[in-house]
Amino acid sequence: MKNVIKIKNLVKQYGELVAVDGISFEVKEGEIFGLLGENGAGKTTTLEIIEGLRRATSGETEVLGHKIPNELRIIKKKIGVQLQSSAYYNHLKLTEILELFAVFYNHEIDAVKLLESVQLELKKDAYVSQLSGGQKQRFSIVASLVNDPEIVFLDEPTTGLDPIARRNLWELIKDIRDRGKTVVLTTHYMEEAEILCDRIAIMEKGKIVAYDKTNNLVKRAIFPYSVSFETEVNDEKVMKNLEQFGVVSQPGKKKYYLLQMKDSDKLGDAIDVVRKFAPIGLAVRPASLEDVFVELTGKVILPAEKEANA
Amino acid sequence: MLKLIIANLKMMVRNKQALFWSLLFPLIFTVIFGFFFGSGTLSTGTIEVVNNSNSELSTNLVSLLKKQSDIFNIDEQSGIEAAREKIKDGKAGAAVIIPAGFGATGQEAVTELKILTDPGSAQTAAAVQSVVGAFLTQTNYLVTNTKPIYKFTTEVANPSSSGFGYFDFVLIGIIGMAMMNSAVQGLAISISRYREDQILKRITTTPLAGWKFIVAEVIAQLIENVVQIGIIIAVGVNFFHAHVGNIPALLVVSLTAALLFQLVGFFIAAVTKSSDAAEGMATAVTIPMMFLSGVFFPIDSLPKWFYNIVQLLPLSPLLRNMRSISLDGGHIWDNPTQNLIILVWIVGMLLLTIWRFRLSEE
Repeated sequence: MKNVIKIKNLVKQYGELVAVDGISFEVKEGEIFGLLGENGAGKTTTLEIIEGLRRATSGETEVLGHKIPNELRIIKKKIGVQLQSSAYYNHLKLTEILELFAVFYNHEIDAVKLLESVQLELKKDAYVSQLSGGQKQRFSIVASLVNDPEIVFLDEPTTGLDPIARRNLWELIKDIRDRGKTVVLTTHYMEEAEILCDRIAIMEKGKIVAYDKTNNLVKRAIFPYSVSFETEVNDEKVMKNLEQFGVVSQPGKKKYYLLQMKDSDKLGDAIDVVRKFAPIGLAVRPASLEDVFVELTGKVILPAEKEANA
Repeated sequence: MLKLIIANLKMMVRNKQALFWSLLFPLIFTVIFGFFFGSGTLSTGTIEVVNNSNSELSTNLVSLLKKQSDIFNIDEQSGIEAAREKIKDGKAGAAVIIPAGFGATGQEAVTELKILTDPGSAQTAAAVQSVVGAFLTQTNYLVTNTKPIYKFTTEVANPSSSGFGYFDFVLIGIIGMAMMNSAVQGLAISISRYREDQILKRITTTPLAGWKFIVAEVIAQLIENVVQIGIIIAVGVNFFHAHVGNIPALLVVSLTAALLFQLVGFFIAAVTKSSDAAEGMATAVTIPMMFLSGVFFPIDSLPKWFYNIVQLLPLSPLLRNMRSISLDGGHIWDNPTQNLIILVWIVGMLLLTIWRFRLSEE
């Protein structure tokens, strides 16, 4: 599969601050590519350089065989961009906004049909201010499709949405991919990235700390399995018996234990020990992308922090 | 680009609050000043006419008086007492009493009529006396069959300035104010809001050339300005008998004003960080100019040193030019000094705007 985006040694500096520190990666045609990282890791800056909104300090960026910044005009015609904020003109109806944006691309569209593709046809005469959060995001995504782009950039498309609206958007993003378009997205939600993205780059302080197929990344987890349970047995006894298998912690509510295992061969032995504690809600989970992300970036992103930065 | 202009106009019409400030606000000023100062312009008031005669001469006199509608209004009364009452009540400034038999031939002929005046309305009295006097002199010549030897002709030296009053002065001020407010407020706030809402950023991700976006904004604003001027003039002229002179020339200067203030609007949007800040700065720029550039009263009466400063404000020379066109029958190029000030402002603001204004952050 050919590479539709090629980034080489990309650097973006704001005075002393290095927002993007010499990163390189490729995006393949027809895949969903995820750019992950904490707030301020440089995801949005990287996206905005590829979209032509910011100028790189140094490095090479090539999109669909065209170089930035020289051939930006050609690139802009072939890409669709959804920005982090989904605000659009306040006093234009949804169809009018889509038609206006289509004009910017010299592209003919059937606005109602486009709205149908995101289940917003009933809102065609509404204003953006009359939409719910999920509807706004769907509209914002469909607005990035008016020029029938080859690559679609989605910057945190699901931030701040409820679980149902989020799953609706996953469907939509999958549809876009099925139409043969390449999708590049950023997200805070590891579960989402794990489900949607074929390949992922994780950024940390302007650098890429991991870059691989999603499956391969998950395999890199230091603790491939974790066992969780609740028990009335006292702390000391639990710790003493389980520490031989891995790291034991009490990450949350009282009497709730989490055993992270390095060696998956001993999983059976560990469970046998846990059974003796009369555990409630015993669960065994394979490592997730979130575990890998936390291990790589060294910090846990608290939900409150996500919302505050949304 | 046409589509973008149309979209901009749609948004203007749908943005009720902005529409109020750009159209209704100046209109309210026009109507208020119209009620106070409009209508009749130089009119010196009402004249009561009591015609007790039915001769041709008396009928001619009454119809002549009625023709002077731009000087005074005629109110016919049946008796002298009713006319006196009107003057006493301040409803009329003078009365012309034509006695029975005035202008008749034969025995009962009366040759004298009476003019009642009110010391408080000297102007009205003088006006009616001169009209009646001229009429009688003319009649005397006819009767004695002599020809006048010395005469004078009158010519209006300044056709458009015939009978302009304070309302005409302030109407031009209101047009200037409307241009300034809608351009500065409109653009500063809407552009900075576009930036806040990331609409500008979103647009820069499309291949649309930045200049097209700006030109569409400018043209849509200018169309709104033409509508504003049209409404203000239509209301001023039709309801309050304003004099506006050469409308095309007035339009040219008004739109020049609009363009200059659009630049100010863009500049404010460029240097402020939020739409609230832009709104504050726009108000800080427009309100002082409303009072110091001569929207409501001439600035010539200000102390010399102060006048020397405020005459340089951008609205001042524009208003001066607009008034010279509509009140003095002047031409756009008549005031080189004023035009120079306007030009300096336009070039200066253009350079500042080009320097600071960007659609995207980089």
